[in-house]
Amino acid sequence: MIEICPLADLPAGEAKRVLVPPHPPIAVFHTEDGAVYALDDTCTHQDASLADGWVEDCRVECPLHASTFDLRTGGVDQPPAKVGVRAHAVTVQDGTIYVELSDETPNLPPGVSYGASA
Amino acid sequence: MTDTVATPSLIKTLPGAAYTDPAYFTAEQAAIFETMWFCVVRSADIPDPGSYRTVQVGRESLIISRARDKSVKAFLNVCKHRGARLCTDEQGQVQRSFQCPYHAWTYGLDGKLIAAPNLTKMPDIDRVEFGLTSLPVREWLGYVWVCLADEPPSFEDSVQQDIVDRLGDLDSISHYDVADLALGKRIVYDVAANWKLIIENFMECYHCATIHPELTEVLPEFADGYAAQYFVGHGAEFGPDVKGFTVDGSEGLDKIPTVADDQDRRYYAITVRPQVFVNLVPDHVIIHRMFPLAADRTVVECDWLYLPSVVEAGKDVTASVELFHRVNSQDFDACERTQLGMSSRSYREGGVLVPSEHHIGAFHDWVTSMVGTPRQEA
Repeated sequence: MIEICPLADLPAGEAKRVLVPPHPPIAVFHTEDGAVYALDDTCTHQDASLADGWVEDCRVECPLHASTFDLRTGGVDQPPAKVGVRAHAVTVQDGTIYVELSDETPNLPPGVSYGASA
Repeated sequence: MTDTVATPSLIKTLPGAAYTDPAYFTAEQAAIFETMWFCVVRSADIPDPGSYRTVQVGRESLIISRARDKSVKAFLNVCKHRGARLCTDEQGQVQRSFQCPYHAWTYGLDGKLIAAPNLTKMPDIDRVEFGLTSLPVREWLGYVWVCLADEPPSFEDSVQQDIVDRLGDLDSISHYDVADLALGKRIVYDVAANWKLIIENFMECYHCATIHPELTEVLPEFADGYAAQYFVGHGAEFGPDVKGFTVDGSEGLDKIPTVADDQDRRYYAITVRPQVFVNLVPDHVIIHRMFPLAADRTVVECDWLYLPSVVEAGKDVTASVELFHRVNSQDFDACERTQLGMSSRSYREGGVLVPSEHHIGAFHDWVTSMVGTPRQEA
């Protein structure tokens, strides 16, 4: 389990990119409905931060192109991204956000690599 | 500064080159359109977050848009990366961002750089510094005004002062409640004439009896050649048999209730330098915005504004719009005809202004003071 931040530091409707070396960075989302989700932060099509994207109906739209990812599963809906991102388990305990990283292999875009996943 | 000629009745105009020389036009863009408050769009043209219009101001293309917090923003229409033009449409609606179609640099509605390919690998890129270049904005009379100057002049001492100089005070225009009127009709005119010919034409009425038969029927005093703009606080009175400011003098629309009794049945006209004309009549307001595009080309966007109840009820404004649309067409035809003569050897030193046009000399002095003296040969 990785401690992310106090829930109060991530207002509803916002997202943050969190570096978790040697793993790829993750994006943590606090939705308008109050739920908290975590995905790999990097779009699988091209290097862009999903934390900079737009959240609507439990999906995040990559800020560069039109692919959107399901905040619960990481599944992708439409090209140009062809594969989903990993979803990570989130718990909020005593007002603090924790993430349990997925042990699946990340789907990183061409030319992007991080530490152990290189 | 105004030159006199041998005959005291006449003063000289600017030389022909001031209307044809591309170098002089470029100097006007830099010294006038890029230094003053410039009226770009009606606020209601960009009603929602992400609504935008693109406009040309001086030598720059601008995006005028509404941000998420509903505030109006003006940006240079240029990507900070490699300079591509961001928006090529005249108007549109974006969802959440302005994205450059070249490398997908993506800007929020507040202009900040949100995303770009590999941006996370370049943490030293400041998202505000590399955001869109933002310009000062004012909203007044229901229009958005922008200024390209590094230090904009006082709005009160420039735009509002031009109104005060013509009407005597700002209260007189506030009676027309212009910001809360609704757009009844918009007509865009693409005029093959220099912007100064259009302003000069609007300032004088020596031509009225000749080219504006309908207007002169409604405003009989225009037949003597002295325009409303010759005086301070003077509105031209409707003719005794005229029911409204319409093409045939028939009844107009519902009167704007806050218009004062002494403003009723009168027509007021104001030039707000460098590119706005305002006409006030009891039941509507006409606003012209000029967009000078070249020494010999000016696009004029003209709005007819009525009480919201008139527009919502779908009342017939045809006869009302037709009067000034006809005036505009007559005027712009005359301006295009005049443009043809500007490059003639017989106009090298310019023409002359008769007494009812002498106030145009002050406009010429103002242009010269801003831009410098035009050379006499193009």
